[in-house]
Amino acid sequence: MLKKHNILVVEDELELAKSTLAYLTENGFSPFHAKDLKSARKLLKQENFSAVLLDLGLPDGDGMALIKEIKNAKNEIGLIIVSAKDALDKKIEGLELGADDYLTKPYFFPELNARLKSVIRRLNLEVNQEIILNEITLLPEQMRTLIHGEELELTAKEFGLLLYFVSNQNRVISKTTLGEFMSSNYADYGFTDDMVYTHIKNLKKKLSGSGCDDYIKNVYGVGYKFTVA
Amino acid sequence: MKLLTKTSLNFISASVLFFLVGSMAMYFSVRNIMAEDLRNRLLQQQNEFIYTAQQNNVMDLVSELVFVQTTQNKQLYSFSDTVLITNEKYMLYRKLDFSYVQNDQDYKVTILISQSESDKLIMKIAIMNIGFAMLFFLIMFFVNRHSIKSALGVFYSTIRKLEDFEVTQSSTLSLDTAEIEEVKKLNQVFEKMSAQIRQDFISQKEYTENVSHELQTPLAIISSKADELMQADNLSKEQMEQLALLLETTNRLSKINQALIFLTKIDNRFYTEGSTFSLNDLIKEKLSLFKDAIQDKNIKLKLDLLDITHVYMNPYLAETLIINLIKNAIVHNENGGILRITLNNQTLSIANSGSPLSFDEKDIFKRFTRSNENKKSLGIGISIVQRICDLYAFNIAYSYADEHQFKINFRNNG
Repeated sequence: MLKKHNILVVEDELELAKSTLAYLTENGFSPFHAKDLKSARKLLKQENFSAVLLDLGLPDGDGMALIKEIKNAKNEIGLIIVSAKDALDKKIEGLELGADDYLTKPYFFPELNARLKSVIRRLNLEVNQEIILNEITLLPEQMRTLIHGEELELTAKEFGLLLYFVSNQNRVISKTTLGEFMSSNYADYGFTDDMVYTHIKNLKKKLSGSGCDDYIKNVYGVGYKFTVA
Repeated sequence: MKLLTKTSLNFISASVLFFLVGSMAMYFSVRNIMAEDLRNRLLQQQNEFIYTAQQNNVMDLVSELVFVQTTQNKQLYSFSDTVLITNEKYMLYRKLDFSYVQNDQDYKVTILISQSESDKLIMKIAIMNIGFAMLFFLIMFFVNRHSIKSALGVFYSTIRKLEDFEVTQSSTLSLDTAEIEEVKKLNQVFEKMSAQIRQDFISQKEYTENVSHELQTPLAIISSKADELMQADNLSKEQMEQLALLLETTNRLSKINQALIFLTKIDNRFYTEGSTFSLNDLIKEKLSLFKDAIQDKNIKLKLDLLDITHVYMNPYLAETLIINLIKNAIVHNENGGILRITLNNQTLSIANSGSPLSFDEKDIFKRFTRSNENKKSLGIGISIVQRICDLYAFNIAYSYADEHQFKINFRNNG
C-alpha cells in the first residue's frame, strides 16, 4: 500500500472503538476515533479521510444526518454504515442517502477490512486498479487472477476468498468468520464449515497447480492464515 | 341490519299500530254518531206519524217505509236493523217498531229509514282517513330517514375512516367534526384510541430495535476481542480452539437474536408493503445462491416449475420464505441426495432426501426444534417460514415418505 488511508471511526461504544482502531492500525490504516456527531464533524474538517465507518445510534443524534454532509463535502470518501439495527428500512434509507456499504453488528474484523478496502478501491479506481502480492495479481473489477503473469481460472467464490485473504494477510481467520463471509447475508449456518473447507481446498489446489506459493495455512483446524513473510 | 333500516322499521311499525287503533276508534265513533242520528230521525218521524194520525185513519198512513199492522201487544217499542229487497238489491234499513192505539184498536207501526246514505258517508270518511294517513306516513318516513341520515352522516364517515385505518401507516386518524353530541364523543374516543394504538405500535417497534441494538453491541465487543486474542503468536491448540468456539457461539447468539427480532417484526406487521411477482423467477434467482452448496454436497436438483405462479407478497418476506426452505432442504439433505422443487397448480413443494425426523412431526414448525445430528442449525428457519405463511393465509404442510416434503398452497392469497 502506497499511502496510509485515514479512516474515521464514529462509534460511541468505547471498547468496540478501541478494538476497531487497534485492528485498523495493524492492517495499515491510520484510524481516528469520534465518539459522537460533534467530534466527527470537527475531525472531518481537520483531516482528509479515505473512508468513514459510521455507527447510526449516537448519543447526540442519528448518524444518518452525517451521510449527506460527508458525501456533499467530498464524494470520494467511502462511507460504511455500521449499525446494530438490522432494520431493512434503515439500510435502504442509508444507501439511498449515499452510503457505500452497510455492516450489521456484530461484524467480523476481516469482513470490515475487506469491505473498507473494496469501498476505497471502488472510489479511487485510478489509484488501485490491481492488487499485487508477490506472484499474485488480482483485478477485482474484472474478477481476474494472474499468477506469475498467467491467467488462473477461479470461481466467483474462490476469487472472493482469495481477495479476502489478500486483504487480511498474516491474520488468523476463524472458520466462523470465513463462513459468514462466504454465505454473506444468507447464513443461519449449518453447512458453512463444510463449504469453507471445500472451497479453500479447491482454491489451494488451483493456486499450487499454477506454481503459486502455499500462503494459506491451516491453524489448528479452527481457522486459516494467509501468511506472507 | 343498518341503523337507518332499524329506525325506519321502528317508525313504520309504531305508525301502523297507531293507525290501526286510531282508525278503529274513529270508525266506531263515527258509526255511533250515525246511529244516534238515525235514531233521532226515526223518533222525529214517529212524532210526525202520531201527530198526523190524530186527524187520519192509521191505515191511510201506510207508505213505502211505513207499515201498520193490528196487534195484541200494547207495549211495543224497539229499534232494530232489517234488510229489504228493492229492485233486487239488498238494502239495510234502521227500523222502529212501536204500538199505537186508535179507536181502541192496537196497531203495530213500523217506520223504516235507509242506512245506505250514512254507510256511504262512513265509507267516504274511512277512505279519506286512510288516504291522509298514508300520505302522512310517506312524508314522515322520508323526513325521518333524511334527518337521521344527515344527523349520522359524520358517523358513517367515521366508520369509513376506521375501516381504512392502519396502525403501520404514519398518518393519524382524523375524523370529521360532528354536531351530534354522541357522535362527537364517539369520534373523540376513536381518535384517542387510535393514537394510543399507534403509540403502542411505535414503542413496540422501538423496543424491538433497542433490544437488538443493546444485545448486538456487546456481542460485537465479545467477538472483536476474541478475534483480537486469536492473533497472538503463542497460543496453544486448546486455547485457539476455545477462542474459535467463543467466536462461533457469539455469532450463533447474534443470529438467534436477529432471527427472533425478525419473527417479532413479522408479528408486528412490520413488512406490509407488497407487490405482485412471479414465484418461478424468485425460485430460480434464489436457487442460484445455493449453486455451490448444492455442488458441494453432490445434490441432484430436480426442478419442475410447471405453471407460472404470481403471488402478492412483501418481496423481502417472499425472499426469506424461499431461501429458508431451500436452505433447509440442503442442510438436512444427504450427500448425493435429491432436492426436488415442484411448482404446480399454485402449490410449491420442496422435498429432500434424508432419514426420518428424530422428533415428533408436529414439532417441526416450533422454534428451536432440530435434530440431534445438526447442532449448528438454529432450528428457527422453518418457524419463520410458517409465520410468513400464516401472515398471508397460505396453507403449509410437512410430510415424510422417503423424502422430507414441505408443501405450500399459495391459492389462499386473493
